[in-house]
Amino acid sequence: MSWLKRLANVVRTGKVERQIRRELEFHAAERADELRASGLSHEEAARRARVQLGNPLLQAERTRDVDLALWADGILRNLRHAVRSLLRAPGFTLTVIATLALGIGANTAVFSALDAVLLRPLPFPHADRLVRLVQTQETSSESGIAPVRLEEWNRLNSSLSAISGYFIEDVSETSGDLPEKVRRAIVTPRMLDVWGVSPARGRGFSDEEYRFGGPPAALISDRYWRSRLGSSPDVLRRSVRIGTVSVAIVGVMPASFRFPDREVDLWSPSPVDAPYAQSRQSTWYRGIGRLRAGVTLDQARADLAAVQARLAQQFPDPDRKIGVQLTSLKQEAVGGVGQSLWLLFGSVSVLLLIACTNIAALFLARGASRRQEIALRLSLGASRSAVAGLVLGETLLLALLGGGLGLLVAGFATAGLRSLGTELPRVDEIVVDARILVYCSASTLGVALLCGLLPAIRATRERAGVASGESRRTQVSGRQSLQWGLVGAQVALSVTLLAGAALLVRSFQELARVDPGFERSRVLSFRMSGNWAETADYPGLVARVDRAIDTLRALPGVEAAATTGWVLPGVPTEYESSFGLVEARSDADRRIVAELRVVSPEYFATMRIPLLEGERCERHSVGPRGTLLSQDVMVNRAFVARYLSDFPSAVGLHLERGEPGAREGASKPGRILGVVADAREQGIDREPAPTVYHCLNAPNPTPYFVLRTSAPPLGVVRAVRAKLKELEPQRSVYEIATLDEQIDAAYTMRRLLTLLLLLFSLSALSLACVGLYGTLSYAVGLRRREVGLRMALGALRGDIVRQFLGQGLRVVGLACAGGIALALALRRVMAGLLFGVSATDASTLALVVALVVVTAALASLMPAVRAARLDPMRVLRED
Amino acid sequence: MSPALQKNDILQGTLSLLVLRTLASNKRLHGYAITTHIQRVSSDLLRVEEGSLYPALHRMEQLGWLRSEWGMTEKKREARFYSLTARGLKQLEQEQESWNRLTEGVGRVLRYA
Repeated sequence: MSWLKRLANVVRTGKVERQIRRELEFHAAERADELRASGLSHEEAARRARVQLGNPLLQAERTRDVDLALWADGILRNLRHAVRSLLRAPGFTLTVIATLALGIGANTAVFSALDAVLLRPLPFPHADRLVRLVQTQETSSESGIAPVRLEEWNRLNSSLSAISGYFIEDVSETSGDLPEKVRRAIVTPRMLDVWGVSPARGRGFSDEEYRFGGPPAALISDRYWRSRLGSSPDVLRRSVRIGTVSVAIVGVMPASFRFPDREVDLWSPSPVDAPYAQSRQSTWYRGIGRLRAGVTLDQARADLAAVQARLAQQFPDPDRKIGVQLTSLKQEAVGGVGQSLWLLFGSVSVLLLIACTNIAALFLARGASRRQEIALRLSLGASRSAVAGLVLGETLLLALLGGGLGLLVAGFATAGLRSLGTELPRVDEIVVDARILVYCSASTLGVALLCGLLPAIRATRERAGVASGESRRTQVSGRQSLQWGLVGAQVALSVTLLAGAALLVRSFQELARVDPGFERSRVLSFRMSGNWAETADYPGLVARVDRAIDTLRALPGVEAAATTGWVLPGVPTEYESSFGLVEARSDADRRIVAELRVVSPEYFATMRIPLLEGERCERHSVGPRGTLLSQDVMVNRAFVARYLSDFPSAVGLHLERGEPGAREGASKPGRILGVVADAREQGIDREPAPTVYHCLNAPNPTPYFVLRTSAPPLGVVRAVRAKLKELEPQRSVYEIATLDEQIDAAYTMRRLLTLLLLLFSLSALSLACVGLYGTLSYAVGLRRREVGLRMALGALRGDIVRQFLGQGLRVVGLACAGGIALALALRRVMAGLLFGVSATDASTLALVVALVVVTAALASLMPAVRAARLDPMRVLRED
Repeated sequence: MSPALQKNDILQGTLSLLVLRTLASNKRLHGYAITTHIQRVSSDLLRVEEGSLYPALHRMEQLGWLRSEWGMTEKKREARFYSLTARGLKQLEQEQESWNRLTEGVGRVLRYA
């Protein structure tokens, strides 16, 4: 009711002002009457009355202010009081502000990452309608879509407004002195319709440009336009030179458009009517589509499945074995980082909670020492809510300062995250903007309440009157169970955090200790640009790569050179394919699913993967369309153990690729030439899978080159570049890094997660110890007289130390049990992030408990010893 | 306010007590009458400063302790009359109680300390 009235006052300022003025006029008139009655002249009486009343306008203002801003006034007054009282304890104040700044800052930074990566829609119009389309095959994990099938899906479906496809290739831009690598996305018609984005300058591709033999055209990225073309305004009249072809620039995409990935420099149209694009077997495109308004993902799935079923009737081979899968694009883009981010956010929130608890405990202790002050205020007529307001005013002020600084911290932290977390999807969308500002303010207010509510409530329970300021002389000890409860909660939560961090650290140790089965040090890896057009002359492509391998091998300091088709060893990937075993005794044993890796024959020597049986494969000759004229393969030991244990020797058996007759040339079975040792090719954190190696040096135009060097690998980079420039002047060399770096880069997110969690949990532990120290010191302070008395009566110093140490450690012990229980209850949160250690690993948890107990004991020792050093006589004479 | 309390100034926080008490025995008074009443009853020991009275009256009205209405005085002047609400009465009891404790405490201190 009263706030309604206040609100009404704000609206009707004029009326209120008139009323107040009338009231004051009346007062002055009455006063003047009285003065006249005592014998003053009429004028003098009026003048004095006015003077006594003060400037009437000022008076009116003051009175009105009460109406308008009783609340604001109260808050301001409380804040003023808070400033004064906090300035009196600058050390306390600074510690609390710094703690809150770091707590709120870290929390806001992690939230901004969570928000940008997981919560916000992708940066496209109606991005929730974008879906990924994947073609599934029984016989391989190849998920690309044939151009003809993509067009049919687009034509026959009724639930998507457009379907488009693309693939990425790294090619050379050759208009400059040196060839430069550019990343190009080849896109099919309707690309811009699917994205719902138009070029910032120029136009999209015309129908003619999408036709086979049409004029070459390119859309370029904003980044490419700025960095390589100097933001030139006449960009639409310029062209880029890709290999030997000059390509006209028809438009520039907006800066926010970073798809398929942020590295893409230009987009070129893919002619779907090209004669080479008519095979139903090809697996070229990554599919992408836009749902029509109001269509759900499930409806679209059913629709597309029906479409594909029709195609299967029309083209039984191969469409009968092909399916279609739809996922939301956002889900695909975000992938598996959700768990890590939520874990981080959870831990950073727990850290903030610990900080709040800590500060609440500090305020409780302060509140206790201010009992007389509060009692006096109450007895002088301060209302309980006013006293609570005083305490809340202090925490609000601290939280505001901490939150303000925290925003700065968050700004720096997000900048750090952007440069460190390059493996994180959508990392460049992480910014501190209005949304984050709102989040930060909300958490600041939350923090103020969390820190202040308990102490405020406690303060209002104070009894009014001087009586409650009773001397502490008679008070033996308060139990302060609330304070101890808060300390226990802090310790328990930090035990849980530490347990998580320790498990991650242990995983990392295990990961470093594991033998990957290949030698990862002293290996240089890089790629050389190429384009898919080269696959038209496959023997030429293979010969070119062989020539490069031989030239590199001859360089001084290079011990071995090889290529690996799609991926580097140890970098997490999966590429399953199915095979048929020709010698199988029954049909059930025939079908074999294994990882397929395509490597040059020198690969095993270069990676030092030992040959266990048989012989190494040779360089194969290739047919004109990339089909191997010989299908001979190598397998690893895990393959033999899983599938060939019935045979005396794997060597000499035959495998056929895929289903019989599925592909031209594929029906010719390949002989198993040799068996190599197991290697953790699919990621050093995974057990070696049964693997088939095809010996082909270039399954694509840009395989990875791997060189084993006799000295640190980066030493040969200059020589490699010079030699390749001589050999292939039109090609650029890129992604130069050691294999160690490449593998480490693949685990960056994991390392970052571990590091941050460790940092958070150690901060949590130190906060908890500060809380423990503070609370115990406070308890010692309260019980000085009791201690003095006992010592005067003959208690030993050791007893006193034991008493206080015991008090601290009892709480810590209970808290450790609680923390471990919580960690065990939350073990599923960690599953999947651990390697070589279980989430309930007893030794790790024991270590954490030991660390916490020792640290806590150290924190409790100081106040306990101080208590024992008290001089009984001095203490008893005090007060 | 001046840093040193003047002799007659009313201790902050007690003003509301005095106003509530005054209205409890007089039902319906305007601001000026409240000041004169307090002055008279305290035999001029206490003087209410107008500068604090009106803000206090408005605050107490907002808190629901008082209600006010415009009316005519005997001299036919328009004035705002204040009277006590039920909540105000309760508040008075509380403040009186804590005041008694305070004075008792202070008295003891002065006697024995």
